[in-house]
Amino acid sequence: MNQQLTETEQAARLKRARRTAYAVAAIAVAVFLFSILQMLWISK
Amino acid sequence: MAHAATHDHHDDHHGAPKNFFVRWCMSTNHKDIGTLYLVFSLLMFFIGGSFAMVIRAELFKPGMQLVQPYFFNEMTTMHALVMIFGAVMPAFVGLGNWMIPLMIGAPDMALPRMNNLSFWILPFAFALLLSTLFMAGGGPAGGWTLYPPLSLQTDSLAYVVFAVHLMGISSIMGAINIIATILNMRAPGMDLLKMPVFVWSWLITAFLLIAVMPVLAGAVTMLLTDKYFGTSFFNAGGGGDPVLFQHIFWFFGHPEVYIMILPAFGIISEIIPTFSRKPIFGYKAMVFAIASIAFLSFIVWAHHMFAVGLPLGAEIFFMYATMLIAVPTGVKVFNWVSTMWGGSMTFETPMLFAVAFVILFTIGGFSGLMLALVPADFQYHDSYFVVAHFHYVLVTGAIFAIIAATYYWLPKWTGHMYSEFWGKVHFWNSVIWVNVLFFPQHFLGLAGMPRRIPDYNVAFANFNMISSIGGFLFGASQLIFLGVIVHAVWFSRKKATDRVWEGAKGLEWTVPSPAPYHTFELPPVIHDEELAHGHVED
Ligand code: HEM
Ligand SMILES: [Cu+2]
Repeated sequence: MNQQLTETEQAARLKRARRTAYAVAAIAVAVFLFSILQMLWISK
Repeated sequence: MAHAATHDHHDDHHGAPKNFFVRWCMSTNHKDIGTLYLVFSLLMFFIGGSFAMVIRAELFKPGMQLVQPYFFNEMTTMHALVMIFGAVMPAFVGLGNWMIPLMIGAPDMALPRMNNLSFWILPFAFALLLSTLFMAGGGPAGGWTLYPPLSLQTDSLAYVVFAVHLMGISSIMGAINIIATILNMRAPGMDLLKMPVFVWSWLITAFLLIAVMPVLAGAVTMLLTDKYFGTSFFNAGGGGDPVLFQHIFWFFGHPEVYIMILPAFGIISEIIPTFSRKPIFGYKAMVFAIASIAFLSFIVWAHHMFAVGLPLGAEIFFMYATMLIAVPTGVKVFNWVSTMWGGSMTFETPMLFAVAFVILFTIGGFSGLMLALVPADFQYHDSYFVVAHFHYVLVTGAIFAIIAATYYWLPKWTGHMYSEFWGKVHFWNSVIWVNVLFFPQHFLGLAGMPRRIPDYNVAFANFNMISSIGGFLFGASQLIFLGVIVHAVWFSRKKATDRVWEGAKGLEWTVPSPAPYHTFELPPVIHDEELAHGHVED
């Protein structure tokens, strides 16, 4: 017993997943940059 | 039960690729990638374990017996790096890869090709890290924490830093994938608050990874520029400060220890209800406790630095914040006990490891509380007491949970039952020798034996010998584990049923054993009574 997801529903789901991934990756990059930049700022 | 009629021939039109290279090196299948992670982790477990055997052999007697001091220091450093980044973390990612899609009714991870990349980075990262042992000048030997200025004396620092970058990228990509999968790929009807606790624990862990792995990457990048590009982030002579490294490192490092325990909490919360034949006590409280522990883990980092000379206000703040973590941790322990209470319990190997986890992890929690007391930590810091603490939480905590999970899900992965007799032999040997190995280290620490030394005062001789004997036997016991796995995968004749365990609930038990190459290509219809937490009231 399975549920049918229409093709558009499936495509929309993957698109949402990709958007989540980009958002989370952006956070990771921001944290990386901030961890170095705050050091430059502290040592000024 | 949806698949009861469709046994066996699932691989007819879309099975695994026949070509070995295509199947394993180019895999985008969450089950195959999960297997790769688990096999890699097991290999690292034995490599890291062999380093530990060198350490315990040298410490068997006072005096220098077997190895040069520098090599000894390389062993302590590499043991930690290999076990943390090579064994424990990849094991959890492997378990997550295998089980999360099965548990939430998804066909695969959300980003299967990135999944392949995040695994295949790891063998290169560890080949690079381990190769430093053979380089002129040697590998890193200043401890896994890489504190400057000591770590800046490492000739192979550039290789170590690059290896850490690779591991970090791999973990971050794994975390991104897990978050994207859990948030977007759940079958309709699998609400967030109906997810298994293991899935919740991984969702929260993935956010921890995203928040702190980049901080580690930043810290080691600054080590790199300090050594090779003339910066002075951590060099007092150039206006920097080595203690700042410790702050940044532990801002990563403390959440990191929770990264290594939260998925274990999730695993234990799956196993105890199954073998108690009762739903978990306080589902929402369990989820909330994991989230609180994750939050608190960001405001306790300086408990690793009580002895560097922090301002009094900071010492007090970090002491109380650390003690606060005991509250949600206590909630979890009480809820596991309450789940068992009045249940019709049986003690198959996964349950034995889970019960041992609850008891022995709690011992590690208590020694953690002792270390959280600032005046006490002045005495205990950098002693074997700390070594005893973190091995109780990591070996009888994280590793026991990984072993429990392997026994629990192995029949679902392979389609065969493992040998219960040899599983129990493995359990009793592990649980006895691990205590012989680590319990005496509490006494050594309280008596003043420092950590990370190849030689020691004769006053510490007896407990060290006991600890080493426990160590060798604990190490040998893990060969039984290897044997049980090899037997279950290739030689066991005993077929596993789909449900495997009488009391097991959740979507992963509705697919055949072994789980077919593709599952839930169409989302399953969710029946609340099939889920472990279908109707949540508490
Ligand atoms: C009840 C919760 C816990 C408390 C209160 C606690 C407290 C502490 C404190 C104060 C230290 C620093 C000791 C020192 O260096 O002087 C420490 C070290 C450590 N803890 Fe815990 N801890 C807890 C749970 C855990 C867990 C769950 C893990 C991992 C799974 C863990 C892993 C470690 C590690 C690896 C170290 C040593 C790090 C190093 O210096 O190499 N702890 N803990
Ligand atoms: Cu900590």
